[in-house]
Amino acid sequence: MLTHFGEALQDNSLIVMLNSVGWMAATIEIVHYFSMFVLVGSIAVIDLRVMGLAGQQQSATKLAQRLFPWMWAGMALNFLSGFVMFGGIAASYIPDSTFHMKMEVILAAVIFGIIVQWKVPAWDRLPAMPKGAKIIAAISLLLWVGAILAGNEVPALSGLG
Amino acid sequence: MDSSLVTFGSWLQNRSFALAVATSDWAYPFVQATHFTGLSLWVGTTVATDLSLLGMGNQYQTPLQLFNVLFVWNWVGFCIAVLGGFLLFSASAATYLINPAFLTKLGVLIPMALMLHIVIQRKMREWGRQETPRVARIAGLVELLFWISVVTAAVSIPYFG
Repeated sequence: MLTHFGEALQDNSLIVMLNSVGWMAATIEIVHYFSMFVLVGSIAVIDLRVMGLAGQQQSATKLAQRLFPWMWAGMALNFLSGFVMFGGIAASYIPDSTFHMKMEVILAAVIFGIIVQWKVPAWDRLPAMPKGAKIIAAISLLLWVGAILAGNEVPALSGLG
Repeated sequence: MDSSLVTFGSWLQNRSFALAVATSDWAYPFVQATHFTGLSLWVGTTVATDLSLLGMGNQYQTPLQLFNVLFVWNWVGFCIAVLGGFLLFSASAATYLINPAFLTKLGVLIPMALMLHIVIQRKMREWGRQETPRVARIAGLVELLFWISVVTAAVSIPYFG
């Protein structure tokens, strides 16, 4: 079932074109990297703020409201460009265990990112950031760095990409 | 190409730390992740500041207030990115030093982008008030385009290799 999906995706004429025309493939890669920096940079600063390591002179809620839209915009572009790159050799990615690990780490990072976004206003109303908040933010930060590392491990360990 | 550059490159890539990055099975993805994590902090905080100069996103704080929160982690990210980048470069220095995309990235685009970045930061007290002057908006836009061009050059390196 998944294998069929992978093969169909790989044969899709739009996916083939986006991955085989040199400047289009390069543009998608540029979008993937740049949006990843914006995505991870935005959430990392909010995590650091919650952990008490950044911008203590400003409210965490205000900073979060400022940065979360860029995190979501970065994520949308990152996932879209990533999907196109995945589509190009989908049948090879689908059974690959390192690629599975990358997707799992990203899923966990996204879940923690959402928890942080959802809880920041409540945490911010307390006189001090609760210990649990700092732990959740630290896990979020580690997971996002882990997502980058997992992304680099796919070509390193599986030779894909 | 200048032979003294290539001589330097060969010398550098034969240092023990450079050989360790190049030949170890596990080190390379970790060093790459270091470079990308630093870049996430650097690009994420820079993009947020430039977009606020452009008046984009919500206006919960002036560009100056946002800049004050992001400044330290902006440069922490820069240092991490340079450290990781230097190690990646060392691993195959002689090859990088004859690559036109790498030379454009490091010799032209990054110095120009960095100079503009520092000018914007020094002007922030003046530019980051309620009413952002037109010149500040142009500077913010040009800086964004500069960093996109840096990523473009970086992605192009293998195409010239």
